Amino acid sequence: MTVGSSKGEKGQLRPGLWNVVNERYPGSMIHKDDCVPLARLNKPLSECRVAFLSTSGVQPKGSLPFDTVHPVGDYSFRRVPSDAACSDLEIHQLKYPTFGAEKDLNVIFPIERLRELRDEGVLGELNASHYTFIGYNMDPVHLERTLAEDVAQALVDDEVDVALAAPA
Amino acid sequence: MTEHAKPPRAVFLPFMMGHLFGVPFHESLQRTVLMEMLSLLEQATDSGTIRDLDLTWAQARREGKAILAER
Repeated sequence: MTVGSSKGEKGQLRPGLWNVVNERYPGSMIHKDDCVPLARLNKPLSECRVAFLSTSGVQPKGSLPFDTVHPVGDYSFRRVPSDAACSDLEIHQLKYPTFGAEKDLNVIFPIERLRELRDEGVLGELNASHYTFIGYNMDPVHLERTLAEDVAQALVDDEVDVALAAPA
Repeated sequence: MTEHAKPPRAVFLPFMMGHLFGVPFHESLQRTVLMEMLSLLEQATDSGTIRDLDLTWAQARREGKAILAER
């Protein structure tokens, strides 16, 4: 489950952007022919363990900063404790405006809203960790084979039922 | 972008980069976005479903300014 930045064919905000990026940076954009099969919930949300995935570069203060200036990106991820206070987190990311998140981290990493939904019983529980990485990764094949696999395996190991993903 | 990445289901928000859950301290908007994600998670029947929300960045900014003014 993701939130994203796209529109239907009639409502493209920036028509042709995908092709322009592909022409200027060959091989940098992920290519897929088919959607992955839809995995349906097999129990109510109120019984699900939920994790949040984000390309925001949010990470605990004191953890190894993401390499935001490497020419091909940083394919590592960070675990962010789901009970962390916003004041214990920081952002290492240069590719999107952070002026809103600097006031209220929830505009890009809604960690407090997720806790509220857990406390109200909408969600069964939050996974001990949310997962973050940076969105600037110029080798999509490498990304799929390393970062994506690593995070997916971590979610399986954590026995997560629902992964909510959001780009920054 | 989302159409090309072909996620199993996604919610589209016409918001500014870095602000996909809205504007600072607008807790109800941040919650709305999360609830829409969870709703589509339960309701989507076909892979590749992209849901457009009836929200605008202009409205979010107006409401955000009002919230900041009251703080």
